[in-house]
Order: sequence, then structure tokens, then C-alpha cells
Amino acid sequence: MSAKCRCDGSAVDARAFIALLICATPVFLVTHESLAADNNRGAQLAATCVACHRLDGRDKGIPSIIGLDEGKLAGALQAFKLGERSIMHTVALSLSSEEIATVVRYLAAQRKETERP
Amino acid sequence: MSCWTRREFGCIAGATCLTALTPHAVSGQAKARIVVIGGGVGGATVAKYLAMSTATVDVTLIEPKQRYTTCFFSSLYLAGLRSFESLIHGYERLAQRYGITIVHDSATIIDPAAKTVELESGARLPYDRLVVAPGIAFKYGVIEGYDEAATQTLPHAWTAGPQTMLLRQQLESMEDGGVFVLVAPPNPFRCPPGPYERASLVAYYFKQFKPRSKILILDAKDNFFGQELFQDAWGRHYPGMIEWIPAQFTGGIKAVDVKGRSVKTAGDTFRAAVANIIPPQMAGQLAQHAGLADQSGWCPIDPMTFESKLQPGIHVIGDAASAGEMSKSAFASNSQAKVCAFAIAASLTGSERFPPHLFNSCFTIVAPDDAMSSAIGYQAATGAIKISDLFLSKVGEDAETRRRAVREADGWYAAFTEDVFG
Repeated sequence: MSAKCRCDGSAVDARAFIALLICATPVFLVTHESLAADNNRGAQLAATCVACHRLDGRDKGIPSIIGLDEGKLAGALQAFKLGERSIMHTVALSLSSEEIATVVRYLAAQRKETERP
Repeated sequence: MSCWTRREFGCIAGATCLTALTPHAVSGQAKARIVVIGGGVGGATVAKYLAMSTATVDVTLIEPKQRYTTCFFSSLYLAGLRSFESLIHGYERLAQRYGITIVHDSATIIDPAAKTVELESGARLPYDRLVVAPGIAFKYGVIEGYDEAATQTLPHAWTAGPQTMLLRQQLESMEDGGVFVLVAPPNPFRCPPGPYERASLVAYYFKQFKPRSKILILDAKDNFFGQELFQDAWGRHYPGMIEWIPAQFTGGIKAVDVKGRSVKTAGDTFRAAVANIIPPQMAGQLAQHAGLADQSGWCPIDPMTFESKLQPGIHVIGDAASAGEMSKSAFASNSQAKVCAFAIAASLTGSERFPPHLFNSCFTIVAPDDAMSSAIGYQAATGAIKISDLFLSKVGEDAETRRRAVREADGWYAAFTEDVFG
């Protein structure tokens, strides 16, 4: 992801968080049954993230979006939506405010594998 | 859970009804039997996401090859920037982690009435839902003289594997000062920036080792995706090395002379030291035989479910699908597979179906320190897949942006292949 974002003075580093947003990867590796159980909409939205963000939570070229604060994630997505054109801008544009809230809630609930009980 | 070779599978299936082998019968539960034909990006993704989506399915993936070699990033191998082994991925984790039954065999006949798939081994697999991901087939003969046998001399290398290695060997054997002719196909075809990325990366190889060599792109088209970006990059990195000739100047590609290693257009003959012929394409052969493709050669689908418009109950995803304005690419196949999996799971469980999110994204590497990126969002609410937003790198971007895109491309490959096969 080449997420460049002007955050207009916001402390939020949108670039780092974009990745976050999209990074549901870890989720699937470890907790894929949650997707099964109840047709989880957050997990389905996060499936888009997994195509670019690693499942193991490591930053390798594209930032990890695991274990981040829900509010910061949502802010990053909103910033991308309003920011300059980028991959993440295109991704964010496709999400309604409700969908952002849903996927962020889902992602924020995930933890790195090493942090799981 | 299991990986069956064709021989093992055929033996057992032949002894009794194949049904006995299916997880459906083994478990004794009323699980829906999902059969996926094709273990490329689309097929592997849909199998994995279906297996994850609901506990009430048994998923069987049919793929003749033991391992899959990605065509994406294969031009990095041609340039000496990536190992061939790094492009290869197995199916073991799909079996072990998600309980998918992998059958290494070829599907030969689909019987929509009986809801069975017949395999080359003679076995017959019953299904409740079928997903077909056959990829592309080449329209041999459209370019006179270019048939399957010709690919052994003039490789297409547009399905990765031995063809890719053959092209690399030919480039290595070529003397400095030779001409590499790349024939680019007409639309639609797999990976729109692919031929031009390949030309860029072969130019990089030439620049290092055979600097007097030239690259000639004979195109079946008059323009191509990202043209301004590519031509800018060629001028910066490989000045004078790459020449692109559109169809309007040649009258189109008419024939090849395999022995003479030459390409004939309407008015000229171009001799090549190495020729890479990427022929016109259509949906994979199984789709043609199963009545899934229309006169265009591609498979019309419902964009909300990827169910065939010609054969209800059968879904078609990936390059074979006629998916409106959606490009044919690995990323697009992966995105379609997820939409298809969620739609099938919802229909099987009666749960709510959410609006699909279809995307395509691409990193195109033109030099070891220079990649461009793109992203396309689609909407399908009107019954047809249409572009809702498109981002593409710009000419004149700063060098750090392009360098960062190379790092992102590398990270993307690792994450993406994990998403598909891991």
C-alpha cells in the first residue's frame, strides 16, 4: 500500500494506520472460526485488508494493523477518505461510515498471536 | 484434511462410489458439498474462505498440479531479481488448517443436471455447489503458426512454470546485441500491465549484462494500461532500449515463423534473438466445454454472487469470469473469490448477505528501485461491475515514493500469498 495521507495537522499518522485498517490478516489466521460462527460482517469487511497486510502482525513493507486503538483506526480511515489519492484512499472511499465502524471494531478486537491468551 | 494424488483418488473412487470419499459422506452430517475446480489464486481463495465461513460445508479443491507458481512477480525472476522457488506455493496448509480436501486431478466433465464433476482418473465427485476457477486458455492459431508446439521455441510464459524458466534460459543464452521481441495481446487479457512490466524488467537484465541488446514490443493494441507511466520509466531507466509499436503502425500481428524465430505483421517481418509471444486469451478450456462461456470466450456472471448466468448453481471466478470493468488479475481473482464465498455461505446458512466489496490493486516494478502502484474500487449494485474509483501513480513522482512502492510490493506479495495459500 502506498498510503500517503495529509492529515492536516492531526497527530494521526494516517499512513501507518491505513495499513492498520486493512490489516485484518492476523484475524483470519487465528480466529477464522469467528467468521464462520455468525456471518461476521466485520470479518468479511476485513477480508479486503488481508490481501495486503500480513497475518503475523509484522511490518514488512506494508504496516501491521494488528492490536491498534479502535478510535485511531477509524480516524486513519476517515483521514484517508479525505486525503490525497492513494491505494488507501480508494479503499476508504468504498466504506460507509457504518462499515468503517464495523471493521474497526472487529480489527481492534484482534490481538497479535503472541498476545493471545 | 487430505491431499489425494490422482492415482490414489482414482483407485479408491473406482472401487466404490466416489461419494464415499467426500467429507459429506464420511462425516455422516448434512454438510453442503462444495467442489472448487482450479487451484490458482481464485480457486484456492474461495476454497479457504468457504471453509472458514461456515462449519456446515465440506470443501474439495481439484487441481492437477502439486504446487502453484505465481505468474505475478515472475518477471522479477526473468530479471534475476527473485528466485524461481520464491514463486512456488503448496496446498498443504489449506488442507491442514481448514480441512479442505485437495484432489490432485483434472476435472474433465461437469454434469449440471446430476451435479457431478468427472475427473481424468474416472472418478466422479458429487456437489451441492460448484465453483469453477479455470483461469485462461490461449487462442492458438489466431496468430498463424503459433500453436502449442510453438510455445517450446517461442514461449508465452503467461502461465508460470516451465514456460517462465524456458524464457529465462533463452534470455541468458542470447548474445549481447540481440533483439528481444515481445508480442502483447489484445484486450481482454490476464494482467494488463504485465507485458510492459516484463519489457521493463528484461531491459533491466539487459542493461546489466547485455547492454547492446534491444527490446521490441509488437502490440495488438494501440494503447495500454499505464502507458504514460511506462514510457516515462523506459526513458529514465532504459533510454533507447525499448521500442513499442502499436497495431495501427504494423497492421497487427499476423504470423510467426517458429524455425526462423520471426514475427510477421501486416507489412513487415521482425527477426528475434528471443521471442515472447503472448497470444489472445479466453476462459480456460473447462469453462468452454461446460457451457459457461459465451461467444466472447469469457463467462458471464451475476456480480453479487459470481453465479454463472448460463449455468445456475455453478459459480465462476477469476480470470475466466466476464466481470464487467474488473481487470483480470490475481488481486481481482482473490477479491471475487471472497465475494463468492460469502454469498454461497449466506445462501447455505440463510444468514444475511452484505453488499460486496470488489477491489483490484497492483504494484508494477519497472526497476529495482522504482515501482508504480494502482488501486481500483468497483461497485456492483446496478447489476454490472463498474469502476467507482481509480488511483494510479503519476509521472514525476519523487524517487522515494517509487522506492517505497518497491518495498510495499515485496510486503504485498508475502501477505497476499499467505492470504491465498496460508
